Amino acid sequence: MRSPVTIAGAYEIPPRRYPEKSTLDLFRMVLKGALAEWRLRPEDVDGLLTTTGGDITGHDTYIHGRLISELGIKAAIAETMNLGGGSHQAMVNRAAMAIAEGRANAVICISAGKMMRPGVGAAEVMVRAISDPSLEVPYGSWIAGLYGLVANRFMYERGATAEDLARVAVSARKWALLNPEARQHNAGALTIEDVLASRMVVSPFHYLDCSLPSDGGGAVLVTRADLGEKWAERPAYIKGYGEYHPRGTLTDQGSLIDTGAMVSGAKAFAEAGLTPQDIDVAQLYDAFSSTPLLLLENLGFCKPGGAAAFVRSGAIDPGGSLPVNCYGGLMSYGHTGEASGMSLLVAAARQALGTAGPVQVDNARNVLVHAYGGIMFYHTTMILGDRP
Amino acid sequence: MNRPLPILDDVNAPYYEGTKAGELRLCHCKACDELFVFTHAWCPRCWSLELDYKVASGRGTIETFSVIHQAPYESWQEKVPYVLALVMLDEGIRMMSNIVDCSPDDVRIGMPVTVGFEDREGVMLPVFSPKSA
Repeated sequence: MRSPVTIAGAYEIPPRRYPEKSTLDLFRMVLKGALAEWRLRPEDVDGLLTTTGGDITGHDTYIHGRLISELGIKAAIAETMNLGGGSHQAMVNRAAMAIAEGRANAVICISAGKMMRPGVGAAEVMVRAISDPSLEVPYGSWIAGLYGLVANRFMYERGATAEDLARVAVSARKWALLNPEARQHNAGALTIEDVLASRMVVSPFHYLDCSLPSDGGGAVLVTRADLGEKWAERPAYIKGYGEYHPRGTLTDQGSLIDTGAMVSGAKAFAEAGLTPQDIDVAQLYDAFSSTPLLLLENLGFCKPGGAAAFVRSGAIDPGGSLPVNCYGGLMSYGHTGEASGMSLLVAAARQALGTAGPVQVDNARNVLVHAYGGIMFYHTTMILGDRP
Repeated sequence: MNRPLPILDDVNAPYYEGTKAGELRLCHCKACDELFVFTHAWCPRCWSLELDYKVASGRGTIETFSVIHQAPYESWQEKVPYVLALVMLDEGIRMMSNIVDCSPDDVRIGMPVTVGFEDREGVMLPVFSPKSA
């Protein structure tokens, strides 16, 4: 099936702490770098989609207007969107739908964020955003604790152990050691023992089972296929997309571990005419070490209960049969809050574009990226290909 | 600073009137005869406006839990380590709560629990403790 829409460019600033930079500064750093790399003119771009600006003290939901002004573009579509970690693929989908309808030709999808450490008042604000204020928040929930609820149930139902979760963090570090842009690039190898020896945050997560709050941002350029073929050496083709929102709070849904990824993934595979066996690289949102295990099963890469052994075998490591999170993962690359999903999307696009440099997987023909918002509430699965 | 309180409103008033009376009430739709978690202004399954409340048995099992070792914000610091849990009530309804009256080290998935009520600044919150033999 020939896709009419491509990703022609993917740019990201390395995640770090940029204490003197505001979120708007980060947006500008992303645009400056992207424009230098993409070498287009304002009249080439007619759409802009973004995640929110501002920070936890006040989100800017009109930032798309400011960015349009600063870019000097005349936009046929422009919007500030929020699906949490699922925002970035959703932006690509919205751009693709507009392009397929002939409403736009080339759309910048951008995101930037400063992920606060939990202890500075951020934890309460973040958990309130995705919880019932009366029936959940008063019990001392926070993002890590809610993930802990899901992880403990996953371990109970699917037989994964603390060592199995730690092995996911070990794999992410292996990739970070290959990626100079990753925060932990020079941190040295990680062992299962290192992870298990780090302090407990919330059961089952030790400190090294958790992702690394950072500042950063990135952007992708979504275009008509003929423009992508003109502007990129080899664009990435959008082969399939699935999106599914089964719930908005953790308490309120069916199975805790048969998540919406099962539905969004099935839709993406069906649209692409592919199966998990056809995927060469997968980026799977890893806010914590448990989620790649759960997503490997939900997306059909492993059968229920099979992910732990798959990861123990080294399959997701550099050189493995299914490279996963080859950018270093949110755990060893960095988690940029509102822009975190963009890290996975850029990493996936670069694999399909052939521009992933030191972490480029050979013959990365079909690349899957799955990201979600909330505690696995708002799911997006996208499959990119290196040819139509 | 005190730990968070529920936000009382017209929709959830019957639930908190219940907890004040020592009852755990579940929202019920008279049209489709389904019970559901949370308090609602309309039925989330059939959109009927004909809702009432049933009194739950107060019994359930721990579906999952997490022992919180790092307080998310200041007011929880003195409670650490505490247990955040999802309890599956015998009625087939899931609710979030804390597990109290036992060591966090003794909490297990599948453990039978019964409801009690914690007085938080005059609002009674359902909490669960292991069922005595």
